[in-house]
Amino acid sequence: MKVAVVVQRYGPSINGGAELHARYIAQRLARHGEVEVLTTCATDYVTWRNELPAGIEQVNGVAVRRFPVKHERDPRLFGRRQERVFAHRHSIGDELDWLDAEGPTSPALVDHITRHASEYAFCLFFSYRYYHAFYGARAAADRAILVPTAERDATIGLSIFHPLFRNVRAVMYNSPEERAMIHAVSGNEAVAGVVVGVGSDVPSNPQPGRFRQKYNIRGPFAVYVGRIDENKGCQELFEFFEDYLRDSYGKLSLVLIGNSLLPIPQHPRIRHLGFLNDTDKFDAMAAAELLFMPSYYESLSMVALEAWALGRPVLANGRCDVLKGQCIRSNAGLYYETLQEFVETLKAIEQNRWLSGTLGRNGRQFFREHYDWPVIERKYLDMFDRVRNTPATRVVEPLPGWFERRREDLPPAEDVLARLAAGPVTVARQSDGRRWA
Amino acid sequence: MPEFNVRSDSVNVEHIMEQIRARVREKRGVDYTEEQIRELAAVKLEKFLDPKGVRSDLLDQFRKAMPAYEPPVLPNYSFESDTLFESHRGIIRLFRKLFHPLLKLFLFNPNPLIRALNIQARLNTVYAEREAQRESARRAMDQLYYELIHNLVVELTRTGIEVKNLKMRAESLASRLEFNERRARALESAVVYRPSDEERPTRPLQPAAAAPMQPPSATQQPSAPLAQPTHTQGGIPGEGPGQRSRRRRRRRGRRGGGSVAAQVGSPAAPQPAAGSLDSSAGPPVAAASDHAAAPASSTFASDAHVDASAGPASAAADHMAASARPAFAASDPTAASARQAGAGADDEEDDGPDHDGAPGTGGGEPHGQ
Repeated sequence: MKVAVVVQRYGPSINGGAELHARYIAQRLARHGEVEVLTTCATDYVTWRNELPAGIEQVNGVAVRRFPVKHERDPRLFGRRQERVFAHRHSIGDELDWLDAEGPTSPALVDHITRHASEYAFCLFFSYRYYHAFYGARAAADRAILVPTAERDATIGLSIFHPLFRNVRAVMYNSPEERAMIHAVSGNEAVAGVVVGVGSDVPSNPQPGRFRQKYNIRGPFAVYVGRIDENKGCQELFEFFEDYLRDSYGKLSLVLIGNSLLPIPQHPRIRHLGFLNDTDKFDAMAAAELLFMPSYYESLSMVALEAWALGRPVLANGRCDVLKGQCIRSNAGLYYETLQEFVETLKAIEQNRWLSGTLGRNGRQFFREHYDWPVIERKYLDMFDRVRNTPATRVVEPLPGWFERRREDLPPAEDVLARLAAGPVTVARQSDGRRWA
Repeated sequence: MPEFNVRSDSVNVEHIMEQIRARVREKRGVDYTEEQIRELAAVKLEKFLDPKGVRSDLLDQFRKAMPAYEPPVLPNYSFESDTLFESHRGIIRLFRKLFHPLLKLFLFNPNPLIRALNIQARLNTVYAEREAQRESARRAMDQLYYELIHNLVVELTRTGIEVKNLKMRAESLASRLEFNERRARALESAVVYRPSDEERPTRPLQPAAAAPMQPPSATQQPSAPLAQPTHTQGGIPGEGPGQRSRRRRRRRGRRGGGSVAAQVGSPAAPQPAAGSLDSSAGPPVAAASDHAAAPASSTFASDAHVDASAGPASAAADHMAASARPAFAASDPTAASARQAGAGADDEEDDGPDHDGAPGTGGGEPHGQ
């Protein structure tokens, strides 16, 4: 069995959510069969500049075939087109232009899939929103399995992606919320799908003391791991945490791990350590009292899963349906929507050791049951069997013609998103009918 | 502070969140949305303005009741010089003009009448326009007044809610403070000094000259016997040296276990020596504030120096403390001079630069919370 993993960027130093997800899955599936990664020469997700040589190389024992990107992203053009399709009535042509401007536009990659699709038993496409997934899944529709990594943002409201969700053979969802959202927007309930997510290589014996000594950290602290960005909710986190610090009862400090795009507040109890390697990161999470997950948009929080794997509770942004749903289903984290809730939930975890310990234990169990690697691998292999044993019946919906593409009758993507039902899925069922948690 | 009422073995996050939200509501009062505040304001308006029944949606009702003003069409006339002689028949109009001189000659002169009526007609027009303008302006002002009153009432309601919340918060803080005071008193009265077995037989017989061998206190006179209670200077009857140090440790514990900057190791905070990186070694503030307990590193010595320059000098008591520690004075003259200059003469915390008398600069806490 030969499987193609198609992703926008790939490399050992590329740590974006979907890219890391793809790398983990590729490496794990390589134990069960031949895996080839099809990707671009780009490493920067903003410019999509060709920085790596085209051709084949081996990355951690997995063959990686790279294709050049035709043109870099023009931020102004992309912004203009995005504004048009997100906020105004527009046509399918506008959406296709937006996709081309977004990149990474790599016709060579799509040509390769078109010509060599029959060599692969399955093609796993990661991140529905990019050029390679849209055109690649059409080129290999009879063996395309999509890992959408869809977040609740306006892109999901673009009409060109709705046939994509219906035309693939199977969809590997990251969370029940993501599945519900995609079902609602595209009506692809007939397509085989399973909530899988991704595992993580969490060390079995992290060393909290080593982290404290190395970075001179004393006292209890909460940790945030990830890009420090306004889109990730960090600005709100800073404001809320500074308010928490005004209360003399709170003893927690905040340790930030990750590259920062925001100014860090100058406070003796807020410490930014920058980007750390995995060892230090896991040591830090093991040393922390809890993990903050303030993001508004997530399809699956790998960091939250890692914290749970280490037995640490999570305090998440309740306005993100996925995070809230994860907390409720796992019974391993609390969530906040307002400043008062943030302070109270943080105090509850800080002061009630029993609660904190129980949340952590629940998290560890939740991770073992649903996100441990054997579970994830089993779900992928089961889905391969299921697809293999089911003949492809659907015909790929063709792209509209010249006139149809120019008819400006599509609503703004933001309006489509606003009409979608929101909220966490509190009781999710797996493919075998069992409850998630 | 009340804990969450989670008694079962398993945790239900939704249940906990409900409890937390209930607690938030209890502490802060009801969190009103903008619409709810407006509703409340409307209800208050109803009570305040017209008990007989001013509607809640006052402004909307007012606008409905008072449509846009259009000046009424008042009856008026125009009176010109030929108005009296007009006719729709041309021939009659011609004869009237021809016989006009005869009318003036044989009957009466109509010109004054025509002039008066003409003036009156113009006056009517001017007054009608002026009245329309006044009425329009008055109605616009009325609308403004209503909006102003409406906004005032909304803001007053919002302020009232805030005042209520602040009152509740002040009550909560007062109760916490009272609880802490009671707790502190209870703890202080609960601790009783008990001499060790070695001290017990020798202590009553110990002469006054042996006093420097015992850990002294700055509040004690150097020549005073150890058995003499120190409560004469504000201490507690029956207090001994062990009790004093215990009390000091308790107080530090209540202050939050040392400097937060030192705990987190902020770049802004003074970095401790490499040997103190181990978390089990205790926070640096403890070492910095108690020079008698640990040899001061150069960092701590400089901290003490800074503190000395900032804190109020109380040389007398501190001189006694310094004289009680000749070894440290010899090994670290900087720290000793700092102590001499800056350490306050607190009755209860006598031997460190971390004094209440030097706010904001206490010893090893350059970033005091």
